[in-house]
Amino acid sequence: MSVPHFAVSSPGSHVILLGNEAIARGILEAGVIIGAGYPGTPSSEILSTLAEIYPYFSHLKIEWSVNEKVAFEVAYGGSMSNVRSVVCMKHVGVNVASDAFMTASYAGARGGMVLVSADDPNCYSSQNEQDNRYFGLQALVPVFEPSNPQEAKDMIKYAFDFSENFQSIVLFRTTTRLNHGRGDVVLGDIEEIKRDYGFDWDRSRWVCLPSHSRVLRLRLLEKIKEISEFANRFPYNTLKISKKKIKGPRIGFVSAGVPYAHLIDALNYFGVKEEVSILKLGMVYPPPRELIKKLFSSVDKILVVEELEPFIENMLKQIAYDEGLSKEIEIHGKDIFPQNGEFSAELYLENVAHLMDLEYDSIPVPDKLIITPPRLPILCPGCSHRASFYAIKQVEKKLKTKFVNSSDIGCYTLAVYKPLEGLDTEICMGGSIGLANGISKIQPKENPVLAILGDSTFFHSGIPALINAVYNQNNILVMILDNRSTSMTGFQNNPGTGIKITKELGKKVSIEDLVQGCGVSPENIWIEDSNNLPKMIEKLEEAVKAEGVRVFISRHTCSLLELNEYKSKQITPPIVKVDPEKCKGCLICINKFGCPSIIFNEDEKKAIIDQESCSGCKVCIDICIHNAIYEEEE
Amino acid sequence: MELKSFNLLIVGMGGQGVIRAVQILAWAALLDNYKVRTAETHGMAQRGGSVSSFLRFGNEVEGPLIPSGNSQVIIALEASEAIRNFRYANSKTIFLINNKIIVPPSVHLMNIDYPELDSIKNFLQQISSNVFLINGHEEAIKVGDIRTLNVYMLGVLAGSERLPIKQEILENSIRRFIPKKAQTVNKIAFQNGLEKGKKIKEEIL
Repeated sequence: MSVPHFAVSSPGSHVILLGNEAIARGILEAGVIIGAGYPGTPSSEILSTLAEIYPYFSHLKIEWSVNEKVAFEVAYGGSMSNVRSVVCMKHVGVNVASDAFMTASYAGARGGMVLVSADDPNCYSSQNEQDNRYFGLQALVPVFEPSNPQEAKDMIKYAFDFSENFQSIVLFRTTTRLNHGRGDVVLGDIEEIKRDYGFDWDRSRWVCLPSHSRVLRLRLLEKIKEISEFANRFPYNTLKISKKKIKGPRIGFVSAGVPYAHLIDALNYFGVKEEVSILKLGMVYPPPRELIKKLFSSVDKILVVEELEPFIENMLKQIAYDEGLSKEIEIHGKDIFPQNGEFSAELYLENVAHLMDLEYDSIPVPDKLIITPPRLPILCPGCSHRASFYAIKQVEKKLKTKFVNSSDIGCYTLAVYKPLEGLDTEICMGGSIGLANGISKIQPKENPVLAILGDSTFFHSGIPALINAVYNQNNILVMILDNRSTSMTGFQNNPGTGIKITKELGKKVSIEDLVQGCGVSPENIWIEDSNNLPKMIEKLEEAVKAEGVRVFISRHTCSLLELNEYKSKQITPPIVKVDPEKCKGCLICINKFGCPSIIFNEDEKKAIIDQESCSGCKVCIDICIHNAIYEEEE
Repeated sequence: MELKSFNLLIVGMGGQGVIRAVQILAWAALLDNYKVRTAETHGMAQRGGSVSSFLRFGNEVEGPLIPSGNSQVIIALEASEAIRNFRYANSKTIFLINNKIIVPPSVHLMNIDYPELDSIKNFLQQISSNVFLINGHEEAIKVGDIRTLNVYMLGVLAGSERLPIKQEILENSIRRFIPKKAQTVNKIAFQNGLEKGKKIKEEIL
């Protein structure tokens, strides 16, 4: 038995938690019963932590749902049934969930309901850096934003009380730095909520047809007004007015979330914290009008410190206008801080220094810089996706044409880099098939259109687009790279494995049955082992040449999971070596295939296989045209 | 306990134990009654990418990020990663660098040069005179487990006496985070690191 997770320590314990673990602990402390989500960096560890502590707290009903919209609905069903419920996702996941969210906000929460959105300024592992605070504005739902792990735990616990008091869903907005940063946290009591659970048959509330929705909307507007008043007393909104007399204009800062923490560090760095007024927002929407007016009357100049969009800045400017103060008070924000990316710690120093006329010299950069080429993220040694893309490239070469490889979100997106350069589009989950539908209507037959996506992505939102292709007879080849795992976000299980988040057995959903059920004819479905290269090339060529909607399932377990399997069964993976006698140093295995375990010995001009990292997938044996790579018999 | 803030950066590659090393230090700092913050890379960066993790502790730390020029110590588990993060150093920063370079595969593809140990050292010496190349890779292999590299480097740090955390507290924390069957080998790695660190201590300017 390993040491129990910090998040299960007893109340009062002082521990170190990852932001996401702190959120999980807060969820536990609030007495939440239902937790749902879809994996997505940087949000995944919230539910994973709950799954890890599930053996100690088996009252939790948690699941990885098939996508974020379903996850939201699962949690909302919990709220309708009077239990506290949480749903967690990355920022783009909220786009998927928003269909449900935008109307659920009308009916509001019964059991406390919190939607955790993990935003990703700087796109550390995302396709965009959208600012989800606007979802709160759009749904008329309050937006909470914690600035450190302790606050994250405390605020999410509080969010469930708040949600029940106001019968409102709460949008809990976090960013990567909070999700993936650690901090010291004092744990609180785990609440036991005693009440009657179960659905209530209130049709005027839960059936959002026009005659009901008009009424619900009026109530929602009332509710957000009430919350707006309460914002002035919201415990995590704090206003500190400086009493110190200083030369020059009186300065105020407004901030929230992680930027608030770094702003305080910057003010401490210069020792000027006591000389400025600071409004810290724990709830960034709706704004605390009275607190803001008080700040306006105490300062001459305000700097709003927020990453991404001028969300708070614009609200402040609007209030200044309403109060007739737009001439009197200077409000700065995006004219000083950028509207893109994450702010570095020195950016706070530079801008505070600039605003307050303080001295700050950045560290001089040495004259002679050395270039260090980037370490691009790559497909792992033995990754079956590499083999799949290599096969696609070989068929393309053989047919002397260019495919349109419409692709998707997952590990396989990394095949965009050299040497595979195997995909041409990536927009959103399931987008590969949708885009292929459209591209195929235009592209001449000489350029076959492929839609390439992973197993979990197919379950998430590939299915409707496949049905669309069948229905409208859009001529595409869908390639499902089934590695039996949602690997990019931490190897979560999905319907294809049938194992639930709690490691309990669910029911496996077969991709091939599903594809047939979508209307793809059986003769247009291929299933091959991704790592069997000769067979892959032969069958893929067949599939490319065939007509109509075709599905090619390229299947092989994620190499990292396969290595773990070997280890747990105490099996030695195949040992693959290069025969230096036969190796001609042609570099095909390196410059065309690109497995990181194959390295080039510059002195000998021969390839060698790094035994430490090689997974024993044996695909390179088929790549080598000189038969120089072989499996060593024991 | 009057420490305002101590900033430390550990860099390396996915799988080298960067994040675990920072976790160990973070827990130790908490046991030593400091306020603690860390920041780390997850997701994409694990796929053979660079990994860097910030640690800040003291009585005046709020955010996890370190401003450039403000890291007291930079530990590199892979040597060239130290270059990527040079901007966090100042003239007093102590660089503890494992003298192993792992060349990314992209270098072969693009046919470009990759920095070598000497040039890394020379470059960093333009910034700070406290640049120490340490044969951590060999030492870790010598005790029989390459995964002890991070703990060996923590030993070097502790031996150099530049970490304001009590040594026995650090050792407690290592025990908390290392699996039972790897305890003995890590204990040896830490001791070996400690010895190395003591030698370095004399050379720090």
